Amino acid sequence: MTNPPNEVVLDHVSKSFGTTTVLRELDLHLRAGELVAVLGPSGCGKTTALRILAGFERPTSGRVLVDGRDITDLPANKRDIGMVFQAYSLFPHLSVAANVEYGLRIRGTGAAERSRRGQELLEMCGLGALSSRYPHELSGGQQQRVALARALAVQPKVLLLDEPLSALDAIVRRQIRDEIRRLQQQLGITTMFVTHDQEEAMSIADRVAVVNHGSIEQIAAPREIYHRPRTQFVASFVGTISEIGVSPSCGSGRLEVHHPGPGRDTLYVRPEDLRLQPEATGTHVVVAHTFIGERTLVRASGDEDRPDIVSSVSTAEAGSVLVGTRVTPYLAAEPALRIASTSSTPDVMAV
Amino acid sequence: MTGARRWRLGWWLPILAVALYVTVPVISSIAYAFFPGGELSFEVLSRLTQDPDLGPAITRTLLITALTIVTLIAVLVPAVVAVHLWAPRLRSVLEVLCTLPLVVPPIAVAAGTVALLRWGAQQGRGSLPSRISQFLQHPELPLILVGTYVVLCLPFTFRSVDAGLRTIALKELVEGSASLGSSTVGTIWRVVIPCIRGPVLFSVFFATAVCFGEFAIAATLNRETVPVWLFTVSSTDFRASIALAVLLNLTTWALLLIASFAASRYEVLHRRTPDDPALSASTPAPVSAQEGSTPR
Repeated sequence: MTNPPNEVVLDHVSKSFGTTTVLRELDLHLRAGELVAVLGPSGCGKTTALRILAGFERPTSGRVLVDGRDITDLPANKRDIGMVFQAYSLFPHLSVAANVEYGLRIRGTGAAERSRRGQELLEMCGLGALSSRYPHELSGGQQQRVALARALAVQPKVLLLDEPLSALDAIVRRQIRDEIRRLQQQLGITTMFVTHDQEEAMSIADRVAVVNHGSIEQIAAPREIYHRPRTQFVASFVGTISEIGVSPSCGSGRLEVHHPGPGRDTLYVRPEDLRLQPEATGTHVVVAHTFIGERTLVRASGDEDRPDIVSSVSTAEAGSVLVGTRVTPYLAAEPALRIASTSSTPDVMAV
Repeated sequence: MTGARRWRLGWWLPILAVALYVTVPVISSIAYAFFPGGELSFEVLSRLTQDPDLGPAITRTLLITALTIVTLIAVLVPAVVAVHLWAPRLRSVLEVLCTLPLVVPPIAVAAGTVALLRWGAQQGRGSLPSRISQFLQHPELPLILVGTYVVLCLPFTFRSVDAGLRTIALKELVEGSASLGSSTVGTIWRVVIPCIRGPVLFSVFFATAVCFGEFAIAATLNRETVPVWLFTVSSTDFRASIALAVLLNLTTWALLLIASFAASRYEVLHRRTPDDPALSASTPAPVSAQEGSTPR
């Protein structure tokens, strides 16, 4: 029960509310059958972009295309786009089965076919036995599964997910996230997933679009977003990173770390690319350990002129850099991002 | 008497007083209408059924009631939904407009309506205003009464529907329905009205009570609805008019009780949690055993 996947294009889409511009010439291309996570801080415009695609907001300028067809002026109920909301939005007066069959009923599908497809979707979402229940009789996770089944029942061209996991606790969130991905791949439906949770975005998406101040800073595969951020914002928004100022001539090896500033290159270094060497004359002192399973994040603090840095060490080796140990930072690999200084005054030594 | 007992009595006294205030006139009316000379008799009812004007008056009033309810719901619910969704700043304007009939006495409404209809009639035989005026005052179905009763119902029904809409996630429900292909009108019919069933039922029964109780406007326009018939018959058969008034009163109470019961039953049903034993006996166990979240 799948439709051929559809391409989605937001073409130079801008949106203003009064004097506030929320989206600025946003270009977004979703390839057929892929899942793109739109990631960004609160108020960056990601939900507005999704609502424009859904037809709930009209863009101030720009076009919305699905499979090459301009749907900018098409009302939401004619777009054939399924949507899952953060707050589920299930109809409280209808049973689970009636909720899932609602869209089919609108389309005039016969009762037998409606029931068959509704049940098929519910089985697919692991809710087959709950079809006669009402939304308030379900847990949050179950409600969100029903919302997903309801959105998929009408075989939409595109599936939109507006922070669908935000209201769920951590365990259920992971389960539903995996289920969304499984269903999306099984049905091959083009999907846009809006979230402010970077872990969620990185783990579910084929590509991640990082949005800031109403435009896309970078859109790429999760690995590339993490290891090769294109802008300062992407580097600091996604994952843990140390922002340090170094001499323009600084390469790999020992780092003389300063705050970013004029005459210095700014390096954005992932914890796993930064090694802390215990040395009596080290520039930093270890101030905290954060246990994250096999790895431990080690935070080291410098003096007034040196920013804090974060390194990742295997938990087994974390004993060599205990809290209070004086350390020297070494660059173990290429930094995720280097922003060159216009000034060439060398004040950092690379060894 | 202990302090607690005295306090409890003090709590019940006002309720008892209100109950007496409401029931004593009704009981007196029942006694007057159905216990002439101290013995139960339904002879007054057989006199009522013999009156040739009562049947048409009841039919007319029922038609006016049905049209009033349909017009009220069809106009008010979409208007309040639209204001909630797309023009929240206009809510106070709509509230003032809907509350205005409270400060305009029905007799003033009647006088204004009569003046308007008279103006239409004076525009010359066959003219459009004259024909509209005649159409609105048709003796069998005076549609002018539908319009005025809708206006009279607005202050209370607006508040009820407005409060009902505040208790649901209206925007999300409307958008959810639209994303599944439903038009706004379809969404109001299939989703919004069922979700505010209690307030809508209240509006329906309130409108019924108004239509079966309003006298001033119908009498001024000289249209024989049930209250006007009651007034007319009271001059020749007072006991029969009281009997019918009591029956109407009891019917209205019964309707309001049914409305309250239906609304509360609906709410109780929809507030039950999966832990409710009444539900666990009739619904299957969740399939997802590993589900970790708590029921919401």
